[in-house]
Order: sequence, then C-alpha cells, then structure tokens
Amino acid sequence: MAVGSGGFVGKVLRVDLSTGKITTEDTHERYAGLLGGAGIGYRVLWDEVPAGTGPFDAANKLVFATGPLVGTSVPCNGRATVTTLFPTCWPKPLVGSGHMGGHFAAKLKYAGYDALIVEGQADKPVWLMIRDARVEIRDARHLWGSGIRRATLEISQELGPDCVVAAIGQAGENLAPMGMVINSVSHSAGGVGGIMGGKNLKAVAVQGSGAVRIAGDKAAWEALVKFHLSILGANNQHVVPSFPTPQAEYYNPASRWVGQPGKRWGAAKPPLELPGNIHDPNSIAFRTNSAVYFLGDEAWKYTVRGNGCTACPIRCHTMLKMPSVTAKYGIPDMGQNTCVALMFGRTFFKQLANKKNNETAMEACMVGMHLADDLGLWSNYGQLQRDLRKLYEGGYLKARLGSKEYASIPWDKYDSADPAFLLDLLPRIANRQGELGEVLSRGTGAIFDHWSIPESEWAGDHATTYWKMGHPKHHANEDDGQCGVIINTQYNRDAQCHSHTNFVRNGLPLEVQKKLAAAIWGSPDALDAPGDYTPANVPKARRAKWSLLRKELHDALGVCNWMGPWAASPLRERGYTGDDSLESKFLSLATGQTMDREELDRVAERIFTLHRALTIRDMGRVDMRAAHDIVPPWVFEDPSGKAALTKGTIRMDPADIAKAMDYFYEVMGWDKATGAPSQARYAELGLAEVGEALAAAKLTPEAAK
Amino acid sequence: MDTTRGISSEWIKRAAKATGWEGELTRRGFLKLSACALTSLAFLDLGEAYGENAPLVILDNAQGVILADPTRCVACGRCELACTEYNDGRAQPSLARIKIARAVNFGPSGPTGGEAMHGDWGDGLVIQGVCRQCPHPVPCATACPQNAIVADPQTGARVVDAAQCLGCRLCQQACPWGMIAFDEKAGVAAKCTLCKGKPKCVEACPAAALRYVPWRDLTRDGSPTRPTLSVVPPETAKACLDCHVTAGAKATK
Ligand code: SF4
Ligand code: SF4
Repeated sequence: MAVGSGGFVGKVLRVDLSTGKITTEDTHERYAGLLGGAGIGYRVLWDEVPAGTGPFDAANKLVFATGPLVGTSVPCNGRATVTTLFPTCWPKPLVGSGHMGGHFAAKLKYAGYDALIVEGQADKPVWLMIRDARVEIRDARHLWGSGIRRATLEISQELGPDCVVAAIGQAGENLAPMGMVINSVSHSAGGVGGIMGGKNLKAVAVQGSGAVRIAGDKAAWEALVKFHLSILGANNQHVVPSFPTPQAEYYNPASRWVGQPGKRWGAAKPPLELPGNIHDPNSIAFRTNSAVYFLGDEAWKYTVRGNGCTACPIRCHTMLKMPSVTAKYGIPDMGQNTCVALMFGRTFFKQLANKKNNETAMEACMVGMHLADDLGLWSNYGQLQRDLRKLYEGGYLKARLGSKEYASIPWDKYDSADPAFLLDLLPRIANRQGELGEVLSRGTGAIFDHWSIPESEWAGDHATTYWKMGHPKHHANEDDGQCGVIINTQYNRDAQCHSHTNFVRNGLPLEVQKKLAAAIWGSPDALDAPGDYTPANVPKARRAKWSLLRKELHDALGVCNWMGPWAASPLRERGYTGDDSLESKFLSLATGQTMDREELDRVAERIFTLHRALTIRDMGRVDMRAAHDIVPPWVFEDPSGKAALTKGTIRMDPADIAKAMDYFYEVMGWDKATGAPSQARYAELGLAEVGEALAAAKLTPEAAK
Repeated sequence: MDTTRGISSEWIKRAAKATGWEGELTRRGFLKLSACALTSLAFLDLGEAYGENAPLVILDNAQGVILADPTRCVACGRCELACTEYNDGRAQPSLARIKIARAVNFGPSGPTGGEAMHGDWGDGLVIQGVCRQCPHPVPCATACPQNAIVADPQTGARVVDAAQCLGCRLCQQACPWGMIAFDEKAGVAAKCTLCKGKPKCVEACPAAALRYVPWRDLTRDGSPTRPTLSVVPPETAKACLDCHVTAGAKATK
C-alpha cells in the first residue's frame, strides 16, 4: 500500500528526549503491513525494546499511534493508541496499550504524522511542541506540579487556541503506574501517564494545518460516509431505542439509545428539546447521553450537551453543569466524561456505587471527574474503587495501615458517603502520599505485593470483578459467556475489546441477532442471550477471534472499538444488518488501493499475533495457556449456588471453558497445549523473523519441546 | 444601455436595494444612479453586467446564508470535514470554510480570555465561524486587488475565482469574521461557496446546529471577531465615485 497516496500522511515522528534528537521516518517503509495503532506500537517494542526492560527505564518507549482513517470524516475515528510496557501489569510489566479519543489523534495527522515515538528521558521537565513540520522540546519546569487543566491552558497560551494538549497531572509526574494522560478535557489513556512522567515529559501539544488526502473518488467517499451514518445506532452501536416509539419495531430498556424525543438538554441556554425523528441523520448526536444512561433520568436537567472525539457523531462524553458542587466542594460546575470515568467518584462509595437519580451520587461523580482528570489518575476500569472498598470493608486497612495514617484519613466522610472524602483521598493517591496513597497509586498488584495479600482473595471474590495480572474483567461472562471469557484471557491489562459486547448488547431480540450471526459467523449458535448460556462451540470461538481481530483492526485504523464494529443496524428495511466489510471499504477508498475484508482481517491477525509474540518473549515462556490465559475462580462460581450454564447465571463451567479455549486456539491456528503460535504460523502471517527469533529462544511450542 | 464604467445602473440599483440601504442612501442623496434605467437589463446575467475590466465594487446579495446555533453544537467538526472532503477530496479543517477547530477549546477569546472563555475548557459553548455572505460593500471582495471574489451566479455566494486569485491574502486580512481560508497547496484563497445551494456542512451536522436560510444581514449581529486590515485598491476606491458623491460635493451642486 503506497503510503502518502491517501489515508496515511506518510511520516512517523521520533523524539529522543535523552539526546534531543528529532527525526522522522517513512511510515510505509518501516511499518508497512501493520497499518497504525498498536501495530506500530508492537513493532517498535519488538524491534527496539529488549526483553527485561522496565516500564520506567529510559529504554522503554512510548508510541502514540493513529491510523489511516484518523482525521477523516469516517464516523468515530478520533482514536490514538498509546503502546508501551504497561506499568500496572502484574507481577511483571508486559506490553499494553492505553487508548485515547478527543482531538489528539486527528491533530497529529494534520500536523503530518501517523505516529509519534517518544524515547529516552529528558534531564529536566519538558513538553513537546509539534506545529506541523516544526517540532521542539520546550522547558516545562514552570508547569511541573500543576494539574492538567492549568498545564493545558498555559501551553495553549504559548502555542495557540487550536492546539491539542495531551498532558499528565501530578500522578504521572510522580511516576504512578496508575497515572494517565489526558487530552481535550476528559479523554484519557490509562496507565501511560507515569511513563511520560518517567521521561520528564509533561505534555505533548500538537497543532496541525495539513490534510489527510482521500485518494479514491470523492463522490463514492461521500456516499460511503452517508451509508455508514445510516447504519449507526447510539453509543456502543446499540441499534434500538431504550423507549417504545412508533418509529422503531423494537425497544430495549437496557439500550444506550436514550435520547427520547421531548427529553431536554436542561442546562443548555436555553434548554433544548430533543427532536422528534430519531432516525434523522441530523439528530444522531441526541441519541446518546452517557450521564442519563449511567446516572439516571435526572441527569437530563444537568446536561449541557454531548461532546466527544473528532468526527464522531455519537458524542458519548456528556457535558454536565451542576452548580451545587461549586459551593459544596469548591470545584468547577462543569464536568464531562463517559462510562467508567463518568462514574469515577460515585463508585468509591458503597451507598452510591450503583445509585441512579441521586443528587449525592451525581455530585460524587462531578468531584471524581474533576479530580481524576486534573490529577491524571486512572481507575483501572473501576478496579481502584473496588480495591478501596474491599480493603476498607474487608478490614484490611485497619489491620495493615499504621494507626497514625489510618487516623489521618477522614473515614467518617467515607462512611457517610460524603463526596468531600474524595478531596482527601484522590490527591493522596496522585501524590503517592503515605502508605495508602503509595500502594493504590501502583495498582492492584501492589496490594498483593505490599501487604502480602494472596491474589486469590481478589480472584475468588465476585464483587471485585478482578480477572488477572492486576486487572479486572472487561465485558466477560456477564455479557457474552465463553466468548467474553476467551477475550478476557488474552491481554496484559483489562481487555479493551468491545466487538463482542456491542453485538450481544445491541438491543435486538435474540432471534434477530441469531439470524445476523448465522450470516457473519456461519451459525446462529455463535451467541447466546447474556446469562443464558449453552455449551462452548466452534462458532463462538470464531466470533471471539473475529472480535479480537476487529478490536486490533479498529485501533490500527484509528476508529473506535467502543462504537464498532457495525455488524447490526437500526434499519428494519435491511433486516437490521449492518456491514461487516465497512472498514475495508473505507480503507480502500482512503488509500486508493483495494483491500478486501479478508486481507484486512489478516493484517489485524498479524498485529494481534505480534502482541502474543511480545508477551511470550517478555514473559520468557511459551506455556501461555497455563501461565497467561487465566480465568479467575469467581467465574466458575455463583453466589446463590446456581449450576453453570443454566438460565439466570453467568457461572461458567471449567471443563466447558477448557473446551472453549481449545476451539479458540484451533481457530487461531495456535498450538492447543501451550496456546502459542508455531514458527510456521508466524511465517504465514508475515512475521517470519518474529517466529525465527522466538524459535531461537525456544519460545515456540516445537522449539520448547 | 445606461452603464457606469461597464456596470448597468439598473443592476447597481437592484444591488443597492437588496442591501437594505437603498432608502437611506437615496434619501441622503449619496447615490447618483441614473434615472433612465432600461428594464431589459433585469434579464442580463451578472457576467454581462460586470462589463470589461471594471473594478467589481458592488455585488448583489446572496440568496441564502448559513445560520449556526452554538447551543446545539457538539464540537464534532463533521461540518469542517464535509466541507473539505466532499469539495476538495481531503480532510483538512484548516481549509474548511466553516470554522470549528479554532473555537472548540476556548472559544473566540482564546486561552487568554479569562472569564469570557467558551468552548470545551470554558462554558461549553462552541461558537461556529460562518461566512456572512456580506452585503455591499463586501469586505473581502472589496479588498481584492484582482476582483477575484465574485458572486456565484446561482446562489450569490461570494466566491473566490481561483483563476484570478494571486494568493496575496488581502481578503484574509479584510474579513472581519476571519472566514477566509487559504489553500496552501494551490496557493489561493478559499471561502464559503454555499455549495450550489446545498451546503455540505449543513447536511453533515449531527445536531442540526446549522441551517441554510434565506439571506439576512448577519454582519449587524454582534461584533466582528477580529480587527481587520482593509486595504482598498485605488482602482476600486475610485469606483466608489460611480455611485457616491461626498457630502461637500453635493452641497456645491
Ligand atoms: S468571507 Fe468574510 S468578508 Fe467575505 S463575505 Fe464572508 S464574512 Fe464577509
Ligand atoms: S457538524 Fe454541527 S455539531 Fe458538529 S461541529 Fe459542525 S456545527 Fe457543530
């Protein structure tokens, strides 16, 4: 694929903070066949970061990569993947990626770069200025110690109002593994903030005036974008509304399509009544309101508007205005975010964790969003909150924290679910203050290490939703039975895959989903209804593979796997089919070089397999099945004792999951005993040299024998 | 045919009327239009009416204008991308003839705007930049030494005739609303053309924040977003005399 012809902008920027050297390399020459996203990230780690490197070593690299569709009007494309040795991966940091939306990715493309590689370590705090071809390392000493809001403002004053700043807060500066980087107010990539801090890099700010060329026919491109818009649903590609309406055949109260005509953005000036036609392409932005979905209908009145990433019509970052929080907690009355980060504050408190339509719970969310997105503190998909609750409620803290420190924490506020508690707790963690702050800033693994608590106390407890390697489940058996379990075994952090859940939770009746499934995965048995699981089978394994590959593909193209794939649609006249080859159609038109779905899925498989190779290399062992692809014991239990694979439980059966893994390794073409690819499999995917290197290190199944 | 330096007086009159200033101008006697206009001139298309080599001073009003509602805007930038992708085959907000990117973070007052900051980091309001398709005297067109900014025959949108444009950027300096983009690749100015009456941005907006409505004079709403440098080429300035006289000259008549 000729890079530069379209889609790609053709260059990867490399900045060595140790030497100050700034260079560029040709995207195509060096990264051909890996598109972008984690594809580039994994390649850099494979080629340049030797096994045994620590996440905070100067030798670790940080790769911010976009993809060929980033910056275009392809719906939901504003994603950057940030790949590095992931610091919260436990017991040993391994390759992982954080993902951020916002406007960073598109700006980097307009500046002329498909990706940015940061290496080395500056000797004093710096920020990186990128203005098209002009790239400079600038002094950030005056910004060190300040929050993300302040840092963003001052850098914007220096660079200009239309720049995008991706900055770390105090957590990242203090090398907290739980640090994150934030751009555009609320768009974060978890886990990588401390890596920036370790490099003395306060921020990367980008201004770009260039273009992403569309190589194919303009009119065909416009038609394809419009077609894509026509098959869009709401957030997470939920394709039926959550409310009954004569405009839709089905509705599903669990759907994220909550924008019912007549509801209001109550804090807009003046308030805005949502329009009547829910299918109108000019009202897609009104379908989603994350605050309403997660915090309840009461959130409508605090809604200013939707917000989100470049070119995305869904707008899942709901902007809220809640004047009461300024007087009560001394924080700004505006806040915005989506999903787990929106609920960041509420979930610390037992009494508020799942509370909807509750003022205090909403205030806690406002306080949480404000602090987390200013201090740059990550939640590890809510694990931070669940960890604190378990530590406190389980009496661990009382027993282990020094009495002086214990007494210094305002537990009375915590007990009474007072959001002001967060004003004390969160800076403690970001500043790594005291024993509690220090341990929580390092992630869940540090709890096991520091307090000698066996991991099994977490892994055996449903309430923690802890999965493995210091990370929680992320759309596992609660959504998607064996398919969800398989997916959650594969990464070195929580699985960031949404391909599977976005289909099973799309709101359509099971019969319709099964019909679509038969067409895509060859059998209606490729999925079950959540909590009503049938035994493992090959079609489910095939769907798990498809889900993982689409996730990698989306990261590589720069489109949002929180929104895609678009396997179903809200269109009754299409029988609710979406389009499973949309990604290849877009890429072909953007670059002007035709690539079909199968070819593109092969690229995705190459990228995913490179992740596997890196994991094997850095773990130094090939028995992935036993040592890596782990399922926590709580998955095989049911709190009320229900039998596995019966209606009304998400309990799975160990023998059945073993079979599911067999099927999965089979469809991947991996060795069943070890769960590792053979040297031949690497070669088939265009990764011959990777296979050779692993074979030489006795890290392929046949070489290890 | 009664013409003034190649421009028909009837046409000038029509244009003046459309600006809404005609009454005022006539009352104050500043407009010296010929009384004996030929009715047939009404059928002339604008190309003919311009005449040869005459500096283009007066443009008939546009038929429509894009209205933007900031309270609906969700800062997605899809309008900017539709503008450049569907018209130019490339995604490039800096070339867009509707302006979102510059307003997303802090609004028109920028990051030093203090309390007045809008946008994602301020009060959330995204104030879109749209071309007003200004009435006569059209700041960008008047500033152009090449008369390269002309009225589109179909919509009356003020459009850049790329073949005439020198790339001197005087129009960019002249627009009080900062609405002239510059195509660095082609070396010419670019501005909103109203897409032959079906603006791509309006069609692309997922929040119905943009509407294409019959033209009205938006230049009288609010204040310009930027100070302007209006350099009027001497030829053009002279053309003002075709229609206007100084108050002093009038008194001595
Ligand atoms: S570009 Fe500026 S000066 Fe020209 S018509 Fe538009 S708003 Fe008026
Ligand atoms: S398309 Fe609409 S909502 Fe999006 S930036 Fe433009 S005006 Fe705002």
